[in-house]
Amino acid sequence: MSLRQYLRIWLACLRYSLVRTLMFRFDFFLWSAVELAWMGVNVLLVEVIYRHTDSVAGWSKYEMLLLVGTSMLIQRLLMGFFWSNLFEMGRNVRTGYFDFYLAQPGNPLFMVSTRKLDPDGLANTFVAAGVVAYSAHRLGLHPGVGSVLLYAAMVGCGLVIHYSLFLITTSTTFWIIKTEGIEGSYFTIADFSRLPREAFRGFANVLMVYLLPAVVVSNVPAQTLIHGFQARYALWLAGVSVAWLALATLVFNRGLKRYASASS
Amino acid sequence: MPAALTKYGHVFLVGLQSNLVYRWNFLIRGFFSLARLAVVFILWGAAYAGVTQIGGYSVGQTFTYFTVLIALQFMIGAFNEDYQIGEEIRNGLINQFLLKPIDYYVYRFTVFLAARVVSGALVLVPLLVVFPLIQSHLTFPGDPWRLLAGVPALVLGALIQFTLAYCFGLLAFWFLEIQGFVILSFAAETLLSGQIFPLDLLPPALFRIAQYLPFYYMMYFPAAIFTGRLGLSAALTGLAVAAAWVALFFVIARVLWLAGLRKHTAVGG
Repeated sequence: MSLRQYLRIWLACLRYSLVRTLMFRFDFFLWSAVELAWMGVNVLLVEVIYRHTDSVAGWSKYEMLLLVGTSMLIQRLLMGFFWSNLFEMGRNVRTGYFDFYLAQPGNPLFMVSTRKLDPDGLANTFVAAGVVAYSAHRLGLHPGVGSVLLYAAMVGCGLVIHYSLFLITTSTTFWIIKTEGIEGSYFTIADFSRLPREAFRGFANVLMVYLLPAVVVSNVPAQTLIHGFQARYALWLAGVSVAWLALATLVFNRGLKRYASASS
Repeated sequence: MPAALTKYGHVFLVGLQSNLVYRWNFLIRGFFSLARLAVVFILWGAAYAGVTQIGGYSVGQTFTYFTVLIALQFMIGAFNEDYQIGEEIRNGLINQFLLKPIDYYVYRFTVFLAARVVSGALVLVPLLVVFPLIQSHLTFPGDPWRLLAGVPALVLGALIQFTLAYCFGLLAFWFLEIQGFVILSFAAETLLSGQIFPLDLLPPALFRIAQYLPFYYMMYFPAAIFTGRLGLSAALTGLAVAAAWVALFFVIARVLWLAGLRKHTAVGG
């Protein structure tokens, strides 16, 4: 299939998701409120901590808020574009309903990942972006078009990294059938991405900053917006995105070979 | 009374057995909680760099607070009781209780107790594993009254959490889907029960409001008694407010149950 055909499929899925949302309007508002409430909780945590101290690991209040906003933005994008798809993949592999995706004439990973979009997650990306913009304003930053595009590209890399992490998590269903609750491990890693890199010491530093992409994913875009472009950080982020996407694709394809239709 | 004890005693034993099936789930959740504890240690450790006290408490006291909170979540927290009750109503399993001399609330609470005995015992495993690492950061006040006031605070906290979950479950009499309500209230609950930060770090006016909300008594109140964030008089006032909330929730649960039964059409079963 050509790229144009994939794009048409994706647009059809987008249309389907929007129609679905219009059918279940109440759900849309409810789930948007849920996500909004959770973001509010995280913003409040920053507010409360900085009532009692001026700096956390060298980050001022609005720098920290910008970091938290960046982390939320990446997570909302994952929720909006990929979450339900990958979450349901685990369930479908368990029930054998996954056959349906394999029967489609397209790349299985594309078909699995793009079937549904969640407009509530996407609506809240604007709120998260608002938090980032507000923090940047309070910091007196005036990023040019170039900086904003660079930041957007880095958030895009962040989305790739979170997508890869979550794909690896749900792909374990191919090996271990009973994986209910496994998505908790994704959230656990994502929790670390709201922390500044300088706060990590010792083993946590090795694991979360260097081995797992939990910290780099949010810290590099935030730092770039605050302090300007630094080639080695940008390369680090880009390298990590490519490496984790490659690993996730590998794990998914390996898992696919093990898939034996209905299980239990 | 002895007959009732025997009856619900059996329910408790069955509850124990059916929750032991989920021992691995509880254990894995316990280990995930350790990761959350690590986030807390890293964040608050960095916040304390350069200051000796935040809100009048040392870094050790703050770590102790969050560690106790994790144990409390597994010992008195409501996990998915609302969902289970909603499911029983939706698919008609509840019908069997209407025909038997069993009080659904007491039955459900007994099962909840059994579940918390299992999860409460299992959370000790991950906590013991990291104990050598975090031991030097933990500081507990020695006052004996804290134990005397803390235990009733735990019981009241468990009753508030369970009864609220029970009320949410009963909403299934009216609504097809209750998960949205549950998760929305969960955000408020997590924040206002002090699981994101100790509530006494809030601006004083907000903290005073929080003290009159039921969420305060779910986790924060017992944790604050055990970790020395509350004085004796505040603890005694708190016990009275908590008891009033329990009474109010009992009434709401009863009203919802009676009204719900009138709506109930007993499908399935």
